[in-house]
Amino acid sequence: MAGGVTATAALPRAAARRRARRGAATPWLLVAPSCLVLIVLFLTPIGYVLLLSVTDPNVSLGHYVRIVTVPLYSRVMVNTFLTSLIVTGLCLVLGFPVAYVMARRRGWITTLLVTIVAMSFWTGFLVRTYAWLVILGNKGPVAAAYAALGLGSPPRLLFTSFSSTLGMTHILLPYMILALYAVMKKIDPSYLKAAASLGARPGAAFRSVFLPLSLPGVVNGCLLVFVVCLGFFVTPVLLGTPRDMMISQLINQQIEELLAWGFASAVAVVLLAATGILLTIYNRFAGLDRLWG
Amino acid sequence: MGAAYLKLTGLVKSYDGRTNAVDGIDLDVARGEFVTLLGPSGSGKTTTLMMIAGFEEPTRGSIELDGEDLGRRKPYERNIGVVFQSYALFPHMTVAKNVAFPLRMRRFPAARQASRVREILDLVELGSFADKYPRELSGGQQQRVALARGLVFNPDVLLLDEPLGALDKSLREQMQVELKRIHREVGVTMLYVTHDQTEAMTMSDRIAVFNGGALEQVAPPLEVYHRPRTRFVGEFIGDSNFFSGRRDGERPGLVLLDGIGAHRVARAAWDEIAGSTVDVLIRPERIQLAGEGDEARLPNRVSMKVGVIVNYGDSVLVIGETDGHPLRMRIAGAQPDAIREGATVTVGWGPADAHLIRRD
Amino acid sequence: MLVVVVALVVALFLVAPILIVVPMSFSTAISFQFPPPGYWLGYYVRYFTGTEWLEPTLNSVVIALGATGLTMALVVPASFGYVRFRFRGKSFVNLLIMAPLVVPHVVSALAYYGFLARLRLNGTHLGVIVAHGVLAVPLAFLVITATLKGFDRNLERAAMSSGAGPLATFFHVTLPVLRPGMLVGALFAFLSSFNEAVVALFIAGRGAATLPKKMYESIRLESDPVIAVVSTLLVTTVAIGVLVSVLARGRESGAA
Repeated sequence: MAGGVTATAALPRAAARRRARRGAATPWLLVAPSCLVLIVLFLTPIGYVLLLSVTDPNVSLGHYVRIVTVPLYSRVMVNTFLTSLIVTGLCLVLGFPVAYVMARRRGWITTLLVTIVAMSFWTGFLVRTYAWLVILGNKGPVAAAYAALGLGSPPRLLFTSFSSTLGMTHILLPYMILALYAVMKKIDPSYLKAAASLGARPGAAFRSVFLPLSLPGVVNGCLLVFVVCLGFFVTPVLLGTPRDMMISQLINQQIEELLAWGFASAVAVVLLAATGILLTIYNRFAGLDRLWG
Repeated sequence: MGAAYLKLTGLVKSYDGRTNAVDGIDLDVARGEFVTLLGPSGSGKTTTLMMIAGFEEPTRGSIELDGEDLGRRKPYERNIGVVFQSYALFPHMTVAKNVAFPLRMRRFPAARQASRVREILDLVELGSFADKYPRELSGGQQQRVALARGLVFNPDVLLLDEPLGALDKSLREQMQVELKRIHREVGVTMLYVTHDQTEAMTMSDRIAVFNGGALEQVAPPLEVYHRPRTRFVGEFIGDSNFFSGRRDGERPGLVLLDGIGAHRVARAAWDEIAGSTVDVLIRPERIQLAGEGDEARLPNRVSMKVGVIVNYGDSVLVIGETDGHPLRMRIAGAQPDAIREGATVTVGWGPADAHLIRRD
Repeated sequence: MLVVVVALVVALFLVAPILIVVPMSFSTAISFQFPPPGYWLGYYVRYFTGTEWLEPTLNSVVIALGATGLTMALVVPASFGYVRFRFRGKSFVNLLIMAPLVVPHVVSALAYYGFLARLRLNGTHLGVIVAHGVLAVPLAFLVITATLKGFDRNLERAAMSSGAGPLATFFHVTLPVLRPGMLVGALFAFLSSFNEAVVALFIAGRGAATLPKKMYESIRLESDPVIAVVSTLLVTTVAIGVLVSVLARGRESGAA
């Protein structure tokens, strides 16, 4: 009897395994084209950069040693890091109230804010960078305002780390707002009502209920802005100054002016590693696909 | 009951090869019958339904319809209608298009499609909603559309997976009546999955009670209620008092209840139960206040300490205890004066009010 | 109330610089001067009559369309495989597909420059299409997998029990229901290519110069006022798109 049971049980289990194996081919057939293309047309080129960084012009770790030891280059790293921190902080301070109003209010104010944020999100970096060139230029509205007020010519604004930071903040602000908004709009307003009914004044309810619940959005937004900022290219190159270079400016300079492929690659690898470390930490705690969701 | 129209034999479903979600179901359904698969969530009733529909492949066992093995037939080759809890109405099609979909897939002539759609929409009283989109309808209306779509092609069997689960209470009761009417008018065989015992009681010809992937009992509603085959069934359906005890082999008709003592039960039931350990079920509405002079009618009596009293208007539920044993009593009508919280009253029941379940 | 005022001020900071390009486009000034000394349509004429700007515009459209096609061809099957099946190596697949989003564009640009040079694809449409198509994969993947996860599979079961075979189910039910999400995914892919500057800057060369590359160069090298015209056209397009979608959503939520 017992033997019979195991025999009949074994048969369908084998069949189930066969089915599972047949089923297992389908998902791979579906994802294979993407995986193949990404390996051949993305990972390979990136791998080539890694390779160049230690082989061009000759096999050595010399480029990396230079990045760390030559003050000019280590200053670029520190400057990039600090600038990214400043931009992230500014975006958070400016973006939080906007996201808050978008999430907590109804009516025309929200519609207006959503429209403006979406519009600036979808307008290309170059259009916005160009706009700042006009505004901060020596024939621009700021200069005109100075003249009108009889203050003479304004301090030099364009091609400084100020203009570069301002431009990046302006460009990345919508990212921050959208990341904050995505989390804030999911906070059930009844939590705040509950807090109020339990005796929390608006300020206390905000601090003890809304703020902690919006924290994931703050983390998402800050990381997103920070990471994009680390590798930001167009705006620092067009609005910034070579005296306070950021990493991408350095890469550009090495290639455009010096054709130093190996060194540029090494700098790129450092940038990639910094980004990778940050996102890996994030991935451990939250899962990457949440960052852009 | 007639010959089996839909016949499930030794049906087993395992997703991981180790545990069985459905663990050997045998069920015969007659043509035109309304059978409810009732059980807590995760008891395998929906999985069984999905296997009948052809969405899940049985690990073992067979499904026969009208003598024919459905085994390898794909869902779209089965002629079985399905109504889902989420309605699953196609959002990009109007009501009429949704209902016409099965006819279109079966390549009915356009004119017949149109007339059949009108007919079935009239049956579910949605004739004037043909050109609306599902999102423009209320939950109850969407449910009717789903029903119409499942019925329009005259399926051999209609499967309903918790179709009223998303509706509010009054609408649910209204739809129960509706469903029963439609079942009578159309005469299609229906298998209805629910975890709501009221739905099962009010609509079914028979109820199949699921627990842990297996069938506990298959019987008409009143039999399931009054004569549950297992303690699980007795506890799952309706309100219940359960005592465990031993059959007194010396004295026929007596059961020794743990902590309460000797109790008299119907002799036929006593004879029928062969084993010695038993569970005794007494429904709360069978327990009454006992007074002087009705010892013959209510030979079993205990003193009950009243804890909580719940007034339903048409009845009163008294929750208390006897010797540390929880006891629930339901009295029809208004609350008697003797029943007060904290009071101790004598309650009793007759021999025929106890139902015996054998324990192994 | 204060917070609303602050939000509106920040919103003004967001939108005002973008809007400044509109009067600039009608300006008679030959350099970046604001307020403009006078108004005319001369630079619009220059944009629409010469190939200098129209060619990059056309390149951008062609490349973005090609990239979108490539992205969708990869992402649609991958999303189905990813969402609907459990298989070994799934988290690896996810990581691989997200990789282009994780790598800074300037690094990708450098990588493609060296890689495409070996294939002799620098300065060709095909080269930029491949690079942009690959870079847009993660964005489209996020959008389309989200759509797929929200898809009620009982719709397919309902179709099948109605007698529809696998193909009929896919074309009559699955695809039509998923279409809006797919279109959004495609739009994301299109815009990510259309707006992408860094990779294009490195690899597009003269042959396949895109609009962002042309704008970058015109800012960097020549201060061509036509850039204001291009910017205005882009801003107008985006504004129309956003307004249409905001209004559509407003109507939808108003109806519900």
